[in-house]
Amino acid sequence: MEGTVGTLMYLHLLASVLAAEWRNLRSATWALVAQSATLALILGVLGWQWGVPAMFLWAVWAVATKAVLIPWLLFRALRILPDAEVEPLAGFRAPWAVTVLLVLAVSRLLFALVGWLGSSVAAVQGALALALTVFVLGLYVCTIRRDVIKIVIGVLLLENGAHLTLAVLAPARWETAYLGIFTNVVVAAWLLIYIARVVYEAIGTTDTLVLSQLRR
Amino acid sequence: METQSPLPVLIWVVPAVCGLVTLAVGRWRREFQGWLAFAGLAVTVVISGLIAQSVLAGWVLTAWNNTLRVDGLSALMEVLASLIGMIIVVYSLRYIPGRLDIEEPRRLGGPVPRDVRLSSYYGLLLLFLGMMNWTCATNSLVWLYVSLELTTLATALLVIFYWNRESLEAGYKYLMLVTVGVLFALMGLGLIYAAAAGLPGTEGRGVLLITEVGKVARQMPKALVLLANVFLVVGFGTKAGLAPFHAWLPDAHAEAPEPISALLSGIVIKVGAYALARTITLFAPQPDYGAVVVFVAIMASASMVIGILMALVQDDLKRMLAYSSVSQIGYVIEGLGLGTYLGIYGGLFHLINHSLIKALLFLAAGAIVYVTGTRRISELGGLRQRAPITAFCFLVGALAIGGLPPFSAFMSKFTLFLAAAQKGLLWAAIIAVFTGLLTVACFVRAAYLICWGMRRGVADCGLQAAAKSGIRNPKSEIALGSEREVPVAIWTGMAVLVVLTVGLGLFPNLAYPLLDRATVCIQALLPAS
Repeated sequence: MEGTVGTLMYLHLLASVLAAEWRNLRSATWALVAQSATLALILGVLGWQWGVPAMFLWAVWAVATKAVLIPWLLFRALRILPDAEVEPLAGFRAPWAVTVLLVLAVSRLLFALVGWLGSSVAAVQGALALALTVFVLGLYVCTIRRDVIKIVIGVLLLENGAHLTLAVLAPARWETAYLGIFTNVVVAAWLLIYIARVVYEAIGTTDTLVLSQLRR
Repeated sequence: METQSPLPVLIWVVPAVCGLVTLAVGRWRREFQGWLAFAGLAVTVVISGLIAQSVLAGWVLTAWNNTLRVDGLSALMEVLASLIGMIIVVYSLRYIPGRLDIEEPRRLGGPVPRDVRLSSYYGLLLLFLGMMNWTCATNSLVWLYVSLELTTLATALLVIFYWNRESLEAGYKYLMLVTVGVLFALMGLGLIYAAAAGLPGTEGRGVLLITEVGKVARQMPKALVLLANVFLVVGFGTKAGLAPFHAWLPDAHAEAPEPISALLSGIVIKVGAYALARTITLFAPQPDYGAVVVFVAIMASASMVIGILMALVQDDLKRMLAYSSVSQIGYVIEGLGLGTYLGIYGGLFHLINHSLIKALLFLAAGAIVYVTGTRRISELGGLRQRAPITAFCFLVGALAIGGLPPFSAFMSKFTLFLAAAQKGLLWAAIIAVFTGLLTVACFVRAAYLICWGMRRGVADCGLQAAAKSGIRNPKSEIALGSEREVPVAIWTGMAVLVVLTVGLGLFPNLAYPLLDRATVCIQALLPAS
């Protein structure tokens, strides 16, 4: 995987790891901004390479929603919610190393899996493997993190991974941009953040394990 | 035969617009709350009837350049959703205002005017039904995802309606897990679209349309299709409450208002099953579809067993019903995944039956709470003496969900057993029969404990004696338990569902025309056997 798209994909993956692992939630949100911005750049470059103007529209939309609107909602919430992430289930002791190793292992595994998918995806094998790695990273964050805001970031990583997969597989069609623009979890993210604020104001924590103990 | 028609547009626009008007105006004008919801849904039921009539005459209705397309399967879902929605609205007119009085002190964040709460309730209910009908009418991969996500948002707000600690936890869990699930479905839909878009000769064709994808499904790379199917089963299976992706379901059902619990089990989880039926069966012509059949059968069988085993150990009536839904949705999805006429017919028939019966059970659970003030099975008993209509309705629901004759679920389950055995999945048929027996045991036990004997638990704190002596606090009637039969507006809906359950059991052929149309829609995609 070479060239501009390849470089941007690696930057995108790096920003994804930062968004996933940064304990300070403001910093993690800035990493999410960077991650979304690299996604938008990838979309723009693909649109330029394949001559599909609709991809530029998707890139602008991605900047507006993923890099501006959603981070703005997160920053607004973090005025009230604590900056420091609740300690995850696995603790904070070696999360960075674990996550980096996980990303490396998963991307190698997915590279081989994508190879099994056959000749139809051979040309984009590397890019597809990286896109799926971002998706898996998002799932990992949603599964093992306890902080509501970090879980919302995980959901956004999942979405970006899905969109990147779509863009990598079918960059030459305007329908790809159409699918990407309209399949956005902005409202769901806003609602999750809003519920997190209400719960924090009521019980003083964003820990989802404590949340589950609210039941009588 | 296809024809352009405004009905595919109206079936979802009418309830959606009524919902928006209710949200906007209902807080100031009470007639724009429940009664607008009733009127809007009455019109929707009529439209769904017209759609069913056209479909039974052999038409497929299209609109908006084929992005909306209503065939037998769509018509079946829309009739079911509109009918159950109507019953839930009528039930809610009397039930919800009383429950609000009880739940208001526990509301987080301070009091909100009652009219605002009620307008939100009915508005969101109508919006959900509009989005549900849109999901069933759309022929576009994009709008299938969007409408499905909108149904999730609307129902999440309904789950947290009481805005107390438990409902917020349940709503958060529901929204988070189903959003993650639907993102898996997005990945699956994206892979399908990309596989179709990559085929030569598809330029200029609407490869975002489900029908167009179906035309080229046979040519798609097999490995990519298999991967897409895995994502779709995980994604839509989460929405459907299929184990092991069902973690949201028990809490959401338990903490939502009882009419909304009926909505969740009766309609919401069926949206996931519908989306699965629309998508994975596209690939039935593929030579490796047998692997998908086995995969779906394994998932469905696991869901059946996990659900009923969890239901058996519940003391909370609503959680027991919720886990039962996890089990029963396994039957539906197994049938749909078999790919044979009998399997699909049985799956869709059970979808109808489960919707009606589970809605009945949840509405009866609400009535039980109204009468007794509790939903703990260990604290209930002797209901048939205090509230005979409620007890009868619950008993009918309990016997029906177990699959006992002459109720409707007997026919649908028997069809599924036969279909699985005919397909060569004898192990799946045995698991389904075993689960059916456990379901009978679970619900007969619950019905006996609730309807017969002496009231337990409450006697210890003297409430039963207080009720007998005529001491009542009108303001907290539901908290203490009214200890008398529920009002007509509440039991009327239950009675309608009882009639439908018994009617379909005694005369299963009544559902045959529409079920046959729906089955043929899916089966048209399958290779000749």
